[in-house]
Amino acid sequence: MLEVERIQVSYGAAPAISEVSLRIAPGELACVVGPNGAGKTTLINAIAGLHRIEAGALKLDGRDLSRLPRHAFCGEGIAIVPEGRRLFAGMSVRENLELGSYRLAARARRGESLERVCETFPILRERLEQPAGTLSGGQQQMLAIGRALMARPRLLLLDEPSLGLAPAVVLAVFDVIKEINAGGVAVLLVEQNAALALEIAARAYVLEEGRIAAEGRPEELLVQPHIRRAYLG
Amino acid sequence: MRRRALAGFAAAGLALSAVPFFGLPAFYESFLYLVFHWIVLAVSWNILSGYSGYFSFGHGAFFGAGMYTTATLATKAGVPFLWTLPAAALVAAAFGIALGAVVFRLPRLRGELFALLTLAVTFVLATIVLNTPIDGGPGLVLSAVPLPAIGPSPSSTFYLLGLALALATLWIAREIQRSKLGTGLFAIHDDEDVAEVLGVPTYRYKLAAFGVSCGLAGVAGGIQAMFISYVTVGETFSIAVPLYVVLMSVLGGSRHWFGPAVGAAVVTALLYAFTASDYAVAGRAAVGMILILVILFLPEGIFGQAVRALDRRRVSAAPAIDAADLPAPAAAAPGKGEGKTLLEARGLSKAFHGVQALAGVDLEVRRGEILGLVGPNGSGKSTLINVVSGHFRPDSGRILFEGRNLAALQAHRIARTGLARTYQIPRPFAHLSVLENVALPAMFGRDALPRAEAEREARRWLAFTGLAAKATALPGELNLHQRKFLELARALASRPGLLLLDEVFSGLTHAEIDDAIRLIRAIRAQGATIVFVEHVIRAVMELTDRIVVLSYGRVIAQGDPRAVMSEPDVVAAYLGKPHA
Repeated sequence: MLEVERIQVSYGAAPAISEVSLRIAPGELACVVGPNGAGKTTLINAIAGLHRIEAGALKLDGRDLSRLPRHAFCGEGIAIVPEGRRLFAGMSVRENLELGSYRLAARARRGESLERVCETFPILRERLEQPAGTLSGGQQQMLAIGRALMARPRLLLLDEPSLGLAPAVVLAVFDVIKEINAGGVAVLLVEQNAALALEIAARAYVLEEGRIAAEGRPEELLVQPHIRRAYLG
Repeated sequence: MRRRALAGFAAAGLALSAVPFFGLPAFYESFLYLVFHWIVLAVSWNILSGYSGYFSFGHGAFFGAGMYTTATLATKAGVPFLWTLPAAALVAAAFGIALGAVVFRLPRLRGELFALLTLAVTFVLATIVLNTPIDGGPGLVLSAVPLPAIGPSPSSTFYLLGLALALATLWIAREIQRSKLGTGLFAIHDDEDVAEVLGVPTYRYKLAAFGVSCGLAGVAGGIQAMFISYVTVGETFSIAVPLYVVLMSVLGGSRHWFGPAVGAAVVTALLYAFTASDYAVAGRAAVGMILILVILFLPEGIFGQAVRALDRRRVSAAPAIDAADLPAPAAAAPGKGEGKTLLEARGLSKAFHGVQALAGVDLEVRRGEILGLVGPNGSGKSTLINVVSGHFRPDSGRILFEGRNLAALQAHRIARTGLARTYQIPRPFAHLSVLENVALPAMFGRDALPRAEAEREARRWLAFTGLAAKATALPGELNLHQRKFLELARALASRPGLLLLDEVFSGLTHAEIDDAIRLIRAIRAQGATIVFVEHVIRAVMELTDRIVVLSYGRVIAQGDPRAVMSEPDVVAAYLGKPHA
């Protein structure tokens, strides 16, 4: 479904990622792990259309997306939960969620999507009319995930969804990710909590210093001692 | 450094003051006077507005206050012209400080509201002057006021007065930029709340900068009143003064004391070159066009961009810092009185928009311990840190830290008691280098170190947190992990006795968490007491002596980590499943 072929993205002169390739099959759940500064966020942002790709190809169902304007990525069915939440702080929780389902196809199912998000994160239902900026850090993370779900994406990109969430909520979020994936949505997950990510992913990539250092099924990767040590302890 | 600069100023002053004695035509002396005049206005405006980011559109009001002070005293009270100038400065400064004393107390009057308010003040002042005996309508004529013969001719006298004031203004602007006041103002520019929490007395600093800025504009007004010799409300309080001043500063570069002077010289020269010829209208269009081009291609201004290019070259030539050469970080505070109460909160409450974030929290922190603060999202953990550090005021309750009630103190005073905090989402000063970010709390914290020492201290903490190689980078060039450690270094640089950490471990890999745990242990070993909010349970279990669990703004459990984490309430409300 998604094919990333040898892409390169740079900030200034230094490439942040180079020669990175990965594939996601329809309905597959893949994860990217790696140390901070390896380029994970750059990679996921490039797939979401937020960075210009200098070399290589980004294909969705065989069509090249690398020349597509940023806003059109949403129309292709790609949604992202970005690092740092990036909410509309002055708008209410409800307005943030509704903006997630801005596209016509998603708008038709807005009520149903909203209900599902509120079931997943009950605290958001209590706070629907409150400005998003007044939520606590963890609640804002829930809202960011909820907003992406409202778009009814075919491919969901998650950049550190567990960041700042209480352990119980992390478990709930991962349950939701599994559930969404079981419903046929392909997921690419960037996550520091490698133990959890590798538990639910079908395929994993290890990104180190801007390059793919290893890839395979999680159980294949976990037998390599240096990966175990770096990411699981 | 300062002596060399002073010599440079003196040399420039001597050379330029010799100009009138070469028999320059009066036209050029008047033109150069106008250049000096605009330099004073632009550079003085920049002291508040460029440094601290409080864009004032009211510079015309203070300039006008000076003009009318001189005009009134010289024509109605017979005060000699030169003696009216200190009065012009005082009136304008007092007016600015009175306005600032009201406006700077209201946090919502930042940004565009401040700009509009200062513009409105200009028109209010114009109306008052026009409809009272100060002016009354016809304007004031100064042609009968005797002009002291400082230079060989009247135009050279204005030239010399303008030159002296321009040099004085530039010197003041330079000294302020290099002083603690300047550092504080630049921090206010980037994030005023954080500056306050790190110990910058933001209210006083803004007021001081505003007073100096207005006073200098007042003197410029006093001289200008004599120069044009006919003062009217319509000409004085027009929108032209603030607009030109803003334009000149932006064009020249408002992050450096000299930038606005470059802009003022360029704009005055351009305007004169065109208005003096038949192309007056085309000239204005050209000035507009140049402004557009500069904004597009030199966003930091002509001078700002030049300085940056120079800096970059200098930085690449600077030797890399070797962390191994650095001594171990200095002790934060000697660990005396271990186990005694360091901080005690009683009945803390805080509500936002009807949500009770804290509902009567009682908390005790003992000297030398590491206390973990855990709880579901939205249980009030960050609010507790925000209230203790003075970022928010509690609705009720007391916070005793070493015997003082913090709830009654302003945030910058809390910082000076030896308490530091980090932000969950890092909030570095975006336009200050990593080193300057860390040096700032050392300058404004409990020990109030001088700049050179503060920078040495900052380098130590950068080495300690592994950021030494990034000292000259801007925070925007760091990744999330590095920005979190920058927060930590900034909190440590004030050598706090109590450190409040808000989720420093989130987003780190397993191996990185190990490093961070070692770092926190090392900090404690130096005698600091640490309270940390965290969801990474492994770090909580490995580091804490005691934990407190919050839920819905109340303490639901506290005590030994292992015991607390297995309480059924805590498992249900927070963990989801028992901690292994």
